[in-house]
Amino acid sequence: MSVDLEVDLGGLQLRNPVMPASGCFGFGREYGEYYSLDELGAVVVKATTLYPRLGNPTPRVTEVTGGMLNAIGLANPGLDEVLAEELPWLAGQNVPIFVNVAGDTVEDYCEVVEQVSRSGLAQAVELNVSCPNVKLGGLAFGVDATVLRGLVEEVRKVCTLPLFVKLSPNVTRVQDLALAAACGGADGLSLINTLIGMQIDLTTRKPVLANKTGGLSGRAIKPVAVRMVYDVAREVDLPIIGMGGIYSGRDAAEFIMAGAWAVEVGTANFTDPYACPRIIAELRSFMQEEGIKNIEEIRGCAL
Amino acid sequence: MLVEENKQLSRDIFALELTGEFPYEKATSGQFVNLLIGDGKGHPLRRPLSIASCNPETKTLTLVYRVVGDGTKWLSERCPGDVLDVLGPLGRGFPAPQNPGTVLVVGGGVGVPPLYQLAKELGAAGFKLHIVLGFKNQDDVFWTREFAEFGDVVVCTEDGSLGKKGFVTEALNVNENWTTLYSCGPKPMLKALKAHFQGRDIKGYVSLEERMACGVGACWGCTCLDPDGSAAKRICKEGPVFSWEEVSL
Ligand SMILES: Cc1cc2nc3c(=O)[nH]c(=O)nc-3n(C[C@H](O)[C@H](O)[C@H](O)COP(=O)(O)OP(=O)(O)OC[C@H]3O[C@@H](n4cnc5c(N)ncnc54)[C@H](O)[C@@H]3O)c2cc1C
Ligand SMILES: Cc1cc2nc3c(=O)[nH]c(=O)nc-3n(C[C@H](O)[C@H](O)[C@H](O)COP(=O)(O)O)c2cc1C
Ligand code: FES
Repeated sequence: MSVDLEVDLGGLQLRNPVMPASGCFGFGREYGEYYSLDELGAVVVKATTLYPRLGNPTPRVTEVTGGMLNAIGLANPGLDEVLAEELPWLAGQNVPIFVNVAGDTVEDYCEVVEQVSRSGLAQAVELNVSCPNVKLGGLAFGVDATVLRGLVEEVRKVCTLPLFVKLSPNVTRVQDLALAAACGGADGLSLINTLIGMQIDLTTRKPVLANKTGGLSGRAIKPVAVRMVYDVAREVDLPIIGMGGIYSGRDAAEFIMAGAWAVEVGTANFTDPYACPRIIAELRSFMQEEGIKNIEEIRGCAL
Repeated sequence: MLVEENKQLSRDIFALELTGEFPYEKATSGQFVNLLIGDGKGHPLRRPLSIASCNPETKTLTLVYRVVGDGTKWLSERCPGDVLDVLGPLGRGFPAPQNPGTVLVVGGGVGVPPLYQLAKELGAAGFKLHIVLGFKNQDDVFWTREFAEFGDVVVCTEDGSLGKKGFVTEALNVNENWTTLYSCGPKPMLKALKAHFQGRDIKGYVSLEERMACGVGACWGCTCLDPDGSAAKRICKEGPVFSWEEVSL
Protein backbone atom coordinates (compact mmCIF):
# COMPACT_ATOMS: atom_id res chain seq x y z
CA MET A 1 0.00 0.00 0.00
CA SER A 2 1.35 3.41 -0.84
CA VAL A 3 0.93 6.00 1.87
CA ASP A 4 0.92 9.76 1.60
CA LEU A 5 3.16 11.54 4.10
CA GLU A 6 2.71 14.98 2.60
CA VAL A 7 1.28 17.71 4.77
CA ASP A 8 -0.08 21.15 4.03
CA LEU A 9 0.96 23.20 7.02
CA GLY A 10 -1.34 26.16 6.55
CA GLY A 11 -0.22 26.75 2.98
CA LEU A 12 3.30 25.40 3.41
CA GLN A 13 3.73 22.11 1.53
CA LEU A 14 6.00 19.60 3.29
CA ARG A 15 6.97 16.26 1.75
CA ASN A 16 6.61 14.65 5.17
CA PRO A 17 5.76 15.88 8.68
CA VAL A 18 9.18 15.31 10.28
CA MET A 19 11.71 18.05 10.90
CA PRO A 20 14.69 18.44 13.23
CA ALA A 21 14.01 20.77 16.18
CA SER A 22 15.69 24.09 16.73
CA GLY A 23 19.02 23.98 18.54
CA CYS A 24 19.49 20.28 17.93
CA PHE A 25 20.55 20.50 14.30
CA GLY A 26 22.70 23.64 13.99
CA PHE A 27 22.09 25.14 10.56
CA GLY A 28 21.99 21.72 8.94
CA ARG A 29 25.61 21.32 7.84
CA GLU A 30 26.70 18.74 10.42
CA TYR A 31 23.93 16.17 9.97
CA GLY A 32 24.02 16.96 6.25
CA GLU A 33 27.22 14.91 6.27
CA TYR A 34 25.25 11.88 7.43
CA TYR A 35 22.31 11.99 5.02
CA SER A 36 20.75 14.17 2.37
CA LEU A 37 18.68 16.93 4.01
CA ASP A 38 16.07 16.81 1.24
CA GLU A 39 14.71 13.66 2.91
CA LEU A 40 13.33 15.89 5.68
CA GLY A 41 9.98 17.64 5.81
CA ALA A 42 11.80 20.84 6.75
CA VAL A 43 14.77 22.02 8.82
CA VAL A 44 14.30 24.27 11.86
CA VAL A 45 17.57 26.10 12.46
CA LYS A 46 19.21 27.23 15.69
CA ALA A 47 17.69 30.29 17.39
CA THR A 48 18.92 33.37 15.60
CA THR A 49 19.33 36.68 17.42
CA LEU A 50 20.12 40.17 16.12
CA TYR A 51 23.70 40.06 17.42
CA PRO A 52 26.05 37.09 17.93
CA ARG A 53 25.74 35.39 21.32
CA LEU A 54 28.31 33.23 23.08
CA GLY A 55 25.74 31.61 25.33
CA ASN A 56 26.17 30.48 28.93
CA PRO A 57 29.35 29.20 30.60
CA THR A 58 30.04 25.45 30.37
CA PRO A 59 29.17 22.80 31.39
CA ARG A 60 25.92 23.52 29.64
CA VAL A 61 24.66 20.05 28.75
CA THR A 62 24.24 17.01 30.95
CA GLU A 63 22.48 13.66 30.82
CA VAL A 64 19.65 12.91 33.26
CA THR A 65 17.28 9.98 33.62
CA GLY A 66 15.25 9.76 30.43
CA GLY A 67 16.77 12.79 28.78
CA MET A 68 19.13 15.69 29.14
CA LEU A 69 19.37 19.22 30.46
CA ASN A 70 20.75 22.04 28.35
CA ALA A 71 21.58 25.62 29.19
CA ILE A 72 23.14 26.66 25.89
CA GLY A 73 21.76 30.18 26.29
CA LEU A 74 20.95 30.82 22.62
CA ALA A 75 24.57 30.75 21.40
CA ASN A 76 24.48 31.66 17.71
CA PRO A 77 26.53 33.61 15.18
CA GLY A 78 23.99 36.44 14.89
CA LEU A 79 21.64 37.54 12.12
CA ASP A 80 24.25 38.95 9.72
CA GLU A 81 26.31 35.78 9.61
CA VAL A 82 23.23 33.56 9.53
CA LEU A 83 21.98 35.46 6.47
CA ALA A 84 25.40 35.60 4.80
CA GLU A 85 26.83 32.16 5.57
CA GLU A 86 24.31 29.68 6.95
CA LEU A 87 20.97 30.17 5.20
CA PRO A 88 22.39 30.46 1.67
CA TRP A 89 24.04 27.06 2.09
CA LEU A 90 20.93 25.46 3.58
CA ALA A 91 18.73 27.05 0.93
CA GLY A 92 20.71 25.05 -1.62
CA GLN A 93 19.73 21.74 -0.01
CA ASN A 94 16.20 21.59 -1.40
CA VAL A 95 14.44 21.56 1.96
CA PRO A 96 12.06 24.15 3.47
CA ILE A 97 13.70 26.29 6.18
CA PHE A 98 12.11 27.43 9.42
CA VAL A 99 14.15 30.16 11.09
CA ASN A 100 13.82 30.08 14.87
CA VAL A 101 14.03 33.67 16.12
CA ALA A 102 14.84 34.91 19.63
CA GLY A 103 15.43 38.34 21.10
CA ASP A 104 15.67 40.48 24.21
CA THR A 105 13.16 43.12 23.09
CA VAL A 106 10.17 43.41 20.76
CA GLU A 107 12.38 45.53 18.46
CA ASP A 108 15.01 42.75 18.30
CA TYR A 109 12.42 40.17 17.31
CA CYS A 110 10.93 42.47 14.66
CA GLU A 111 14.29 43.38 13.17
CA VAL A 112 15.34 39.75 12.81
CA VAL A 113 11.98 38.58 11.47
CA GLU A 114 11.82 41.43 8.96
CA GLN A 115 15.29 40.71 7.60
CA VAL A 116 14.68 36.97 7.48
CA SER A 117 11.39 37.57 5.63
CA ARG A 118 13.08 39.87 3.12
CA SER A 119 16.07 37.59 2.53
CA GLY A 120 13.99 35.16 0.51
CA LEU A 121 16.06 32.37 2.07
CA ALA A 122 13.47 30.99 4.51
CA GLN A 123 10.01 29.46 4.17
CA ALA A 124 8.73 30.09 7.70
CA VAL A 125 9.53 31.77 11.00
CA GLU A 126 9.35 30.04 14.37
CA LEU A 127 9.19 32.64 17.12
CA ASN A 128 11.03 31.37 20.18
CA VAL A 129 9.35 32.88 23.24
CA SER A 130 10.17 29.91 25.39
CA CYS A 131 13.90 29.64 25.97
CA PRO A 132 14.34 28.94 29.69
CA ASN A 133 18.07 29.62 29.65
CA VAL A 134 18.41 33.36 29.16
CA LYS A 135 17.72 36.13 31.64
CA LEU A 136 16.20 38.71 29.32
CA GLY A 137 13.56 37.95 26.73
CA GLY A 138 13.06 34.34 25.80
CA LEU A 139 10.73 32.92 28.38
CA ALA A 140 9.72 36.40 29.61
CA PHE A 141 7.63 36.71 26.44
CA GLY A 142 6.26 33.21 26.66
CA VAL A 143 4.58 33.06 30.06
CA ASP A 144 2.28 36.10 30.01
CA ALA A 145 -0.62 36.02 27.56
CA THR A 146 -0.88 39.81 27.21
CA VAL A 147 2.86 40.27 26.63
CA LEU A 148 2.89 37.39 24.15
CA ARG A 149 -0.04 38.72 22.18
CA GLY A 150 1.62 42.15 21.99
CA LEU A 151 4.85 40.64 20.68
CA VAL A 152 3.12 38.48 18.08
CA GLU A 153 1.05 41.47 16.85
CA GLU A 154 4.20 43.54 16.30
CA VAL A 155 6.10 40.71 14.63
CA ARG A 156 3.09 39.91 12.44
CA LYS A 157 3.33 43.41 10.91
CA VAL A 158 6.81 42.76 9.52
CA CYS A 159 6.54 39.02 8.87
CA THR A 160 5.65 38.04 5.32
CA LEU A 161 6.28 34.32 5.97
CA PRO A 162 4.11 31.79 7.79
CA LEU A 163 4.59 32.64 11.47
CA PHE A 164 4.78 29.83 14.04
CA VAL A 165 4.97 30.67 17.73
CA LYS A 166 6.91 28.20 19.88
CA LEU A 167 5.28 27.77 23.24
CA SER A 168 6.79 27.04 26.63
CA PRO A 169 5.56 24.22 28.86
CA ASN A 170 6.60 26.24 31.92
CA VAL A 171 3.10 27.72 32.35
CA THR A 172 -0.07 26.68 34.14
CA ARG A 173 -2.40 26.65 31.11
CA VAL A 174 -0.61 26.37 27.78
CA GLN A 175 -3.93 26.86 25.95
CA ASP A 176 -4.10 30.46 27.17
CA LEU A 177 -0.75 31.26 25.62
CA ALA A 178 -1.75 29.43 22.45
CA LEU A 179 -4.90 31.55 22.19
CA ALA A 180 -2.91 34.73 22.81
CA ALA A 181 -0.53 33.82 19.98
CA ALA A 182 -3.49 33.04 17.72
CA CYS A 183 -5.14 36.37 18.52
CA GLY A 184 -1.84 38.13 17.84
CA GLY A 185 -1.87 36.72 14.32
CA ALA A 186 0.18 33.52 14.43
CA ASP A 187 -0.27 31.08 11.53
CA GLY A 188 0.70 28.09 13.64
CA LEU A 189 2.04 26.88 16.96
CA SER A 190 5.09 24.79 17.91
CA LEU A 191 5.20 22.99 21.23
CA ILE A 192 6.82 22.17 23.51
CA ASN A 193 10.11 23.80 24.39
CA THR A 194 12.06 22.38 27.34
CA LEU A 195 10.92 22.10 30.95
CA ILE A 196 13.11 23.77 33.56
CA GLY A 197 15.16 21.26 35.54
CA MET A 198 18.27 20.81 37.67
CA GLN A 199 20.84 18.13 38.45
CA ILE A 200 23.18 18.19 41.44
CA ASP A 201 26.63 16.63 41.46
CA LEU A 202 26.89 14.57 44.63
CA THR A 203 30.67 14.96 44.76
CA THR A 204 30.88 18.74 44.41
CA ARG A 205 27.43 19.08 46.05
CA LYS A 206 26.59 21.82 43.55
CA PRO A 207 24.46 21.97 40.38
CA VAL A 208 26.19 20.29 37.42
CA LEU A 209 25.32 23.06 34.96
CA ALA A 210 27.21 26.34 35.30
CA ASN A 211 23.85 28.05 34.74
CA LYS A 212 22.49 25.90 37.61
CA THR A 213 19.17 25.21 35.83
CA GLY A 214 18.65 23.89 32.32
CA GLY A 215 15.93 22.80 29.95
CA LEU A 216 14.81 19.17 30.16
CA SER A 217 14.29 17.39 26.85
CA GLY A 218 14.14 13.83 25.57
CA ARG A 219 11.99 10.79 26.31
CA ALA A 220 11.07 11.95 29.81
CA ILE A 221 9.00 14.90 28.56
CA LYS A 222 6.93 13.07 25.93
CA PRO A 223 3.77 12.51 28.01
CA VAL A 224 3.78 16.18 29.06
CA ALA A 225 4.22 17.27 25.46
CA VAL A 226 1.49 14.97 24.12
CA ARG A 227 -0.92 16.29 26.75
CA MET A 228 -0.09 19.90 25.88
CA VAL A 229 -0.53 19.34 22.14
CA TYR A 230 -3.88 17.70 22.93
CA ASP A 231 -4.97 20.60 25.17
CA VAL A 232 -4.03 23.19 22.56
CA ALA A 233 -5.55 21.28 19.64
CA ARG A 234 -8.88 21.18 21.46
CA GLU A 235 -9.04 24.93 21.91
CA VAL A 236 -7.14 26.55 19.06
CA ASP A 237 -7.80 26.11 15.39
CA LEU A 238 -4.27 26.49 14.04
CA PRO A 239 -1.74 24.01 12.62
CA ILE A 240 0.38 22.57 15.42
CA ILE A 241 3.95 21.28 15.25
CA GLY A 242 4.37 18.88 18.15
CA MET A 243 7.61 17.87 19.83
CA GLY A 244 9.12 16.55 23.02
CA GLY A 245 10.84 13.19 23.32
CA ILE A 246 10.07 11.88 19.84
CA TYR A 247 12.38 8.94 19.12
CA SER A 248 10.36 6.75 16.75
CA GLY A 249 7.73 6.76 14.05
CA ARG A 250 5.22 5.54 16.64
CA ASP A 251 6.08 8.51 18.89
CA ALA A 252 5.44 10.80 15.92
CA ALA A 253 2.10 9.09 15.23
CA GLU A 254 1.10 9.63 18.87
CA PHE A 255 1.62 13.40 18.54
CA ILE A 256 -0.35 13.43 15.29
CA MET A 257 -3.23 11.60 16.98
CA ALA A 258 -3.08 14.24 19.75
CA GLY A 259 -3.61 16.91 17.11
CA ALA A 260 -0.20 17.75 15.66
CA TRP A 261 0.08 18.42 11.93
CA ALA A 262 3.82 17.89 11.92
CA VAL A 263 6.52 17.03 14.45
CA GLU A 264 10.01 18.13 15.40
CA VAL A 265 12.76 15.84 16.61
CA GLY A 266 15.38 17.23 19.00
CA THR A 267 17.38 15.19 21.48
CA ALA A 268 16.96 11.98 19.46
CA ASN A 269 19.44 13.37 16.90
CA PHE A 270 22.17 13.23 19.54
CA THR A 271 21.50 9.60 20.40
CA ASP A 272 21.18 8.59 16.75
CA PRO A 273 22.44 10.94 14.03
CA TYR A 274 20.08 9.20 11.60
CA ALA A 275 17.04 9.70 13.88
CA CYS A 276 15.04 11.91 11.49
CA PRO A 277 15.20 9.76 8.34
CA ARG A 278 14.63 6.67 10.50
CA ILE A 279 11.52 8.22 12.07
CA ILE A 280 10.18 9.12 8.62
CA ALA A 281 10.65 5.51 7.46
CA GLU A 282 9.08 4.15 10.64
CA LEU A 283 6.10 6.47 10.34
CA ARG A 284 5.59 5.22 6.79
CA SER A 285 5.66 1.57 7.87
CA PHE A 286 3.37 2.28 10.81
CA MET A 287 0.83 3.77 8.42
CA GLN A 288 1.18 0.81 6.06
CA GLU A 289 0.66 -1.67 8.88
CA GLU A 290 -2.37 0.22 10.15
CA GLY A 291 -3.80 0.82 6.69
CA ILE A 292 -3.61 4.58 7.00
CA LYS A 293 -3.34 6.12 3.54
CA ASN A 294 -3.02 9.72 4.56
CA ILE A 295 -1.70 11.50 7.67
CA GLU A 296 -4.89 13.52 7.88
CA GLU A 297 -6.84 10.33 8.62
CA ILE A 298 -5.28 10.16 12.08
CA ARG A 299 -4.64 13.83 12.81
CA GLY A 300 -6.35 14.71 16.06
CA CYS A 301 -8.21 11.39 16.14
CA ALA A 302 -7.65 11.15 19.90
CA LEU A 303 -9.39 14.46 20.56
CA MET B 1 31.82 -2.41 15.76
CA LEU B 2 32.79 -5.69 17.38
CA VAL B 3 34.56 -5.98 20.72
CA GLU B 4 37.76 -7.95 20.23
CA GLU B 5 39.19 -7.46 23.70
CA ASN B 6 38.41 -5.40 26.81
CA LYS B 7 41.45 -5.54 29.05
CA GLN B 8 42.03 -3.99 32.45
CA LEU B 9 45.28 -1.98 32.36
CA SER B 10 45.36 -0.60 35.90
CA ARG B 11 43.08 -0.01 38.86
CA ASP B 12 40.21 1.54 36.89
CA ILE B 13 41.60 1.88 33.37
CA PHE B 14 40.56 -0.42 30.53
CA ALA B 15 41.70 -0.83 26.92
CA LEU B 16 38.93 -1.68 24.52
CA GLU B 17 39.95 -3.14 21.18
CA LEU B 18 37.34 -2.97 18.43
CA THR B 19 37.20 -4.38 14.92
CA GLY B 20 34.71 -4.26 12.10
CA GLU B 21 33.47 -1.49 9.91
CA PHE B 22 35.12 1.87 10.63
CA PRO B 23 36.80 4.45 8.39
CA TYR B 24 40.26 3.58 9.80
CA GLU B 25 42.13 5.42 7.03
CA LYS B 26 40.44 8.69 7.88
CA ALA B 27 41.24 8.66 11.59
CA THR B 28 44.15 10.66 12.97
CA SER B 29 45.57 11.09 16.44
CA GLY B 30 43.66 13.48 18.68
CA GLN B 31 40.31 12.67 17.11
CA PHE B 32 37.63 10.91 19.11
CA VAL B 33 34.65 8.62 18.71
CA ASN B 34 31.22 8.94 20.31
CA LEU B 35 30.00 5.68 21.81
CA LEU B 36 26.40 4.68 22.39
CA ILE B 37 25.82 3.19 25.84
CA GLY B 38 23.47 0.21 25.61
CA ASP B 39 20.66 0.82 23.13
CA GLY B 40 20.63 4.50 24.08
CA LYS B 41 17.31 4.27 25.90
CA GLY B 42 18.89 4.58 29.34
CA HIS B 43 21.66 6.87 28.13
CA PRO B 44 20.54 9.34 25.45
CA LEU B 45 23.97 10.99 25.26
CA ARG B 46 26.87 9.16 23.70
CA ARG B 47 30.23 9.05 25.50
CA PRO B 48 33.21 10.71 23.80
CA LEU B 49 36.45 8.71 23.94
CA SER B 50 39.74 9.53 22.24
CA ILE B 51 41.26 7.28 19.65
CA ALA B 52 44.19 5.67 21.49
CA SER B 53 45.28 3.60 18.53
CA CYS B 54 43.96 3.01 15.06
CA ASN B 55 45.43 0.47 12.71
CA PRO B 56 44.07 0.36 9.15
CA GLU B 57 46.10 -2.79 8.35
CA THR B 58 44.78 -4.96 11.15
CA LYS B 59 41.48 -3.02 11.10
CA THR B 60 41.51 -2.37 14.82
CA LEU B 61 40.57 0.63 16.88
CA THR B 62 41.68 0.92 20.50
CA LEU B 63 40.07 3.13 23.14
CA VAL B 64 41.44 3.49 26.65
CA TYR B 65 39.05 4.69 29.31
CA ARG B 66 38.75 5.19 33.02
CA VAL B 67 35.60 3.92 34.75
CA VAL B 68 34.06 7.04 36.29
CA GLY B 69 30.30 6.56 35.99
CA ASP B 70 27.46 4.46 34.63
CA GLY B 71 28.47 4.68 30.98
CA THR B 72 32.10 3.68 31.39
CA LYS B 73 31.07 1.01 33.92
CA TRP B 74 28.78 -0.50 31.30
CA LEU B 75 31.65 -0.37 28.81
CA SER B 76 33.95 -2.21 31.21
CA GLU B 77 31.46 -5.08 31.26
CA ARG B 78 31.53 -5.64 27.48
CA CYS B 79 32.96 -8.95 26.29
CA PRO B 80 34.58 -10.14 23.05
CA GLY B 81 31.90 -10.53 20.39
CA ASP B 82 29.64 -7.77 21.77
CA VAL B 83 28.56 -5.11 19.27
CA LEU B 84 29.03 -1.39 19.93
CA ASP B 85 27.59 1.60 18.08
CA VAL B 86 30.60 3.83 17.38
CA LEU B 87 30.28 7.23 15.71
CA GLY B 88 33.46 8.68 14.29
CA PRO B 89 36.16 9.65 13.80
CA LEU B 90 35.07 13.08 15.04
CA GLY B 91 36.78 16.43 15.57
CA ARG B 92 40.13 17.80 14.53
CA GLY B 93 43.23 15.99 15.76
CA PHE B 94 46.89 16.89 16.29
CA PRO B 95 48.50 18.70 13.34
CA ALA B 96 51.98 17.63 12.19
CA PRO B 97 54.90 19.59 13.69
CA GLN B 98 55.78 22.71 11.69
CA ASN B 99 59.46 22.51 12.56
CA PRO B 100 62.01 19.69 12.75
CA GLY B 101 63.63 18.93 16.09
CA THR B 102 62.65 17.13 19.24
CA VAL B 103 58.95 16.99 20.01
CA LEU B 104 57.66 17.08 23.56
CA VAL B 105 54.62 14.92 24.35
CA VAL B 106 52.96 15.42 27.74
CA GLY B 107 49.99 13.43 29.02
CA GLY B 108 48.15 13.30 32.32
CA GLY B 109 45.82 10.49 33.45
CA VAL B 110 43.23 9.60 30.83
CA GLY B 111 44.81 12.32 28.68
CA VAL B 112 47.54 9.79 27.93
CA PRO B 113 45.65 7.50 25.44
CA PRO B 114 45.35 9.86 22.43
CA LEU B 115 49.07 10.59 22.72
CA TYR B 116 49.85 6.96 21.95
CA GLN B 117 48.46 7.19 18.43
CA LEU B 118 50.25 10.54 18.12
CA ALA B 119 53.57 9.03 19.22
CA LYS B 120 53.06 6.23 16.70
CA GLU B 121 52.46 8.70 13.87
CA LEU B 122 55.34 10.99 14.83
CA GLY B 123 57.67 8.04 15.35
CA ALA B 124 56.82 6.72 11.88
CA ALA B 125 57.50 10.18 10.44
CA GLY B 126 60.99 10.09 11.99
CA PHE B 127 60.56 12.64 14.79
CA LYS B 128 62.55 12.37 17.99
CA LEU B 129 60.18 12.35 20.97
CA HIS B 130 60.51 13.22 24.63
CA ILE B 131 57.48 11.80 26.41
CA VAL B 132 56.34 12.78 29.90
CA LEU B 133 53.42 10.91 31.44
CA GLY B 134 51.84 11.99 34.70
CA PHE B 135 49.60 9.92 36.97
CA LYS B 136 48.17 10.20 40.49
CA ASN B 137 50.01 7.18 41.83
CA GLN B 138 51.48 3.85 40.74
CA ASP B 139 48.06 2.15 40.60
CA ASP B 140 47.01 4.49 37.78
CA VAL B 141 50.03 3.98 35.56
CA PHE B 142 49.58 2.27 32.18
CA TRP B 143 51.26 1.89 28.80
CA THR B 144 54.64 3.40 29.74
CA ARG B 145 56.51 0.53 28.04
CA GLU B 146 54.38 0.90 24.90
CA PHE B 147 55.38 4.57 24.66
CA ALA B 148 59.08 3.76 25.10
CA GLU B 149 59.07 2.34 21.56
CA PHE B 150 58.79 5.87 20.19
CA GLY B 151 61.07 7.97 22.42
CA ASP B 152 62.43 8.44 25.90
CA VAL B 153 59.75 8.31 28.55
CA VAL B 154 59.63 10.04 31.92
CA VAL B 155 56.92 8.92 34.35
CA CYS B 156 55.74 11.20 37.15
CA THR B 157 53.33 10.40 39.97
CA GLU B 158 51.88 12.95 42.32
CA ASP B 159 52.82 10.88 45.37
CA GLY B 160 56.14 9.64 44.03
CA SER B 161 55.08 6.00 44.22
CA LEU B 162 56.53 5.48 40.74
CA GLY B 163 58.99 7.55 38.69
CA LYS B 164 59.52 11.19 39.57
CA LYS B 165 57.48 12.72 42.36
CA GLY B 166 55.31 15.67 41.48
CA PHE B 167 53.54 17.26 38.53
CA VAL B 168 54.70 16.93 34.94
CA THR B 169 55.91 20.54 34.79
CA GLU B 170 58.46 19.77 37.52
CA ALA B 171 60.04 17.23 35.18
CA LEU B 172 60.40 19.72 32.35
CA ASN B 173 63.42 21.97 31.93
CA VAL B 174 62.33 24.99 29.90
CA ASN B 175 65.85 25.45 28.55
CA GLU B 176 65.76 22.27 26.44
CA ASN B 177 65.19 23.15 22.81
CA TRP B 178 61.92 21.38 22.14
CA THR B 179 60.17 22.80 19.10
CA THR B 180 56.63 21.49 19.56
CA LEU B 181 54.58 20.44 22.56
CA TYR B 182 51.55 18.17 22.36
CA SER B 183 49.51 17.77 25.52
CA CYS B 184 46.35 16.17 26.78
CA GLY B 185 45.17 15.92 30.35
CA PRO B 186 43.33 17.80 33.07
CA LYS B 187 42.85 21.53 32.48
CA PRO B 188 45.10 22.59 35.41
CA MET B 189 47.93 20.58 33.82
CA LEU B 190 47.40 22.23 30.42
CA LYS B 191 47.35 25.64 32.08
CA ALA B 192 50.50 24.94 34.06
CA LEU B 193 52.27 23.78 30.89
CA LYS B 194 51.38 26.94 29.02
CA ALA B 195 52.59 29.10 31.92
CA HIS B 196 55.75 26.97 32.23
CA PHE B 197 56.74 27.62 28.62
CA GLN B 198 55.55 31.23 28.49
CA GLY B 199 57.87 33.27 26.29
CA ARG B 200 59.75 30.23 24.98
CA ASP B 201 60.04 29.47 21.30
CA ILE B 202 57.83 26.39 21.31
CA LYS B 203 54.60 25.67 19.47
CA GLY B 204 52.02 24.23 21.85
CA TYR B 205 48.91 22.13 21.21
CA VAL B 206 46.35 21.10 23.81
CA SER B 207 43.47 18.67 23.61
CA LEU B 208 40.42 19.90 25.53
CA GLU B 209 37.46 18.15 27.14
CA GLU B 210 33.91 19.32 27.75
CA ARG B 211 30.54 17.72 28.30
CA MET B 212 29.04 16.98 24.92
CA ALA B 213 25.57 16.25 23.58
CA CYS B 214 25.84 15.75 19.81
CA GLY B 215 29.61 15.42 19.35
CA VAL B 216 29.30 16.59 15.75
CA GLY B 217 29.00 20.38 16.05
CA ALA B 218 25.22 20.74 15.95
CA CYS B 219 24.18 21.66 19.50
CA TRP B 220 26.82 24.18 20.63
CA GLY B 221 26.98 22.42 24.01
CA CYS B 222 30.75 21.95 24.15
CA THR B 223 32.20 25.36 23.42
CA CYS B 224 35.32 27.08 24.70
CA LEU B 225 36.36 30.70 24.16
CA ASP B 226 39.20 32.28 22.22
CA PRO B 227 41.84 34.10 24.32
CA ASP B 228 40.05 37.47 24.44
CA GLY B 229 36.72 35.79 25.16
CA SER B 230 35.03 37.23 22.10
CA ALA B 231 34.30 34.12 20.06
CA ALA B 232 33.27 30.56 20.81
CA LYS B 233 34.70 27.38 19.32
CA ARG B 234 33.13 23.96 19.43
CA ILE B 235 35.46 21.48 21.09
CA CYS B 236 33.86 18.59 19.19
CA LYS B 237 34.21 20.26 15.80
CA GLU B 238 36.99 22.87 15.70
CA GLY B 239 38.76 20.87 18.45
CA PRO B 240 39.35 18.92 20.61
CA VAL B 241 42.93 19.89 19.66
CA PHE B 242 43.73 23.59 19.65
CA SER B 243 46.96 25.56 19.53
CA TRP B 244 47.79 27.60 22.63
CA GLU B 245 47.01 30.84 20.83
CA GLU B 246 43.52 29.76 19.78
CA VAL B 247 41.87 29.24 23.16
CA SER B 248 41.76 30.59 26.68
CA LEU B 249 42.52 27.78 29.11
C1 LIG C 1 36.90 14.68 23.27
C2 LIG C 1 36.91 13.84 24.52
C3 LIG C 1 37.76 12.74 24.59
C4 LIG C 1 37.79 11.94 25.73
N1 LIG C 1 38.64 10.87 25.75
C5 LIG C 1 38.67 10.08 26.84
C6 LIG C 1 39.53 8.94 26.86
O1 LIG C 1 40.25 8.63 25.90
N2 LIG C 1 39.51 8.16 27.98
C7 LIG C 1 38.71 8.45 29.05
O2 LIG C 1 38.74 7.71 30.03
N3 LIG C 1 37.90 9.52 29.05
C8 LIG C 1 37.86 10.34 27.97
N4 LIG C 1 37.00 11.43 27.97
C9 LIG C 1 36.10 11.61 29.11
C10 LIG C 1 34.91 10.67 28.96
O3 LIG C 1 34.09 11.12 27.90
C11 LIG C 1 34.07 10.62 30.24
O4 LIG C 1 34.85 10.10 31.28
C12 LIG C 1 32.83 9.74 30.05
O5 LIG C 1 31.94 10.34 29.16
C13 LIG C 1 32.15 9.46 31.37
O6 LIG C 1 30.95 8.74 31.16
P1 LIG C 1 30.23 7.97 32.35
O7 LIG C 1 28.88 7.62 31.92
O8 LIG C 1 31.10 6.86 32.82
O9 LIG C 1 30.24 9.05 33.51
P2 LIG C 1 29.05 9.93 34.08
O10 LIG C 1 29.67 10.91 34.99
O11 LIG C 1 27.97 9.08 34.61
O12 LIG C 1 28.53 10.69 32.80
C14 LIG C 1 27.45 11.57 32.84
C15 LIG C 1 27.52 12.51 31.65
O13 LIG C 1 28.62 13.40 31.78
C16 LIG C 1 29.52 13.28 30.71
N5 LIG C 1 30.89 13.37 31.23
C17 LIG C 1 31.33 12.96 32.45
N6 LIG C 1 32.65 13.21 32.58
C18 LIG C 1 33.06 13.80 31.44
C19 LIG C 1 34.31 14.30 30.98
N7 LIG C 1 35.43 14.23 31.72
N8 LIG C 1 34.36 14.84 29.75
C20 LIG C 1 33.25 14.92 28.98
N9 LIG C 1 32.05 14.44 29.38
C21 LIG C 1 31.95 13.91 30.58
C22 LIG C 1 29.23 11.94 30.10
O14 LIG C 1 29.58 11.87 28.74
C23 LIG C 1 27.74 11.83 30.31
O15 LIG C 1 27.04 12.54 29.33
C24 LIG C 1 36.95 12.25 26.84
C25 LIG C 1 36.10 13.35 26.76
C26 LIG C 1 36.07 14.15 25.64
C27 LIG C 1 35.16 15.32 25.58
C1 LIG D 1 20.75 21.42 23.07
C2 LIG D 1 19.40 22.02 22.79
C3 LIG D 1 19.30 23.30 22.24
C4 LIG D 1 18.05 23.86 21.98
N1 LIG D 1 17.98 25.10 21.41
C5 LIG D 1 16.78 25.63 21.09
C6 LIG D 1 16.68 26.87 20.40
O1 LIG D 1 17.69 27.49 20.06
N2 LIG D 1 15.43 27.36 20.12
C7 LIG D 1 14.29 26.67 20.45
O2 LIG D 1 13.20 27.14 20.16
N3 LIG D 1 14.36 25.49 21.08
C8 LIG D 1 15.57 24.95 21.40
N4 LIG D 1 15.63 23.72 22.02
C9 LIG D 1 14.38 23.00 22.33
C10 LIG D 1 14.07 21.98 21.25
O3 LIG D 1 13.89 22.59 19.99
C11 LIG D 1 12.80 21.17 21.61
O4 LIG D 1 11.73 22.05 21.76
C12 LIG D 1 12.96 20.37 22.89
O5 LIG D 1 14.28 19.87 23.01
C13 LIG D 1 11.97 19.21 23.01
O6 LIG D 1 12.16 18.24 22.00
P1 LIG D 1 13.04 16.88 22.19
O7 LIG D 1 12.57 16.23 23.45
O8 LIG D 1 12.80 16.09 20.95
O9 LIG D 1 14.47 17.33 22.30
C14 LIG D 1 16.88 23.14 22.30
C15 LIG D 1 16.98 21.86 22.85
C16 LIG D 1 18.21 21.29 23.09
C17 LIG D 1 18.27 19.91 23.67
S1 FES E 1 28.72 18.50 21.46
FE1 FES E 1 27.25 19.42 20.19
S2 FES E 1 28.41 21.04 19.34
FE2 FES E 1 29.91 19.92 20.42
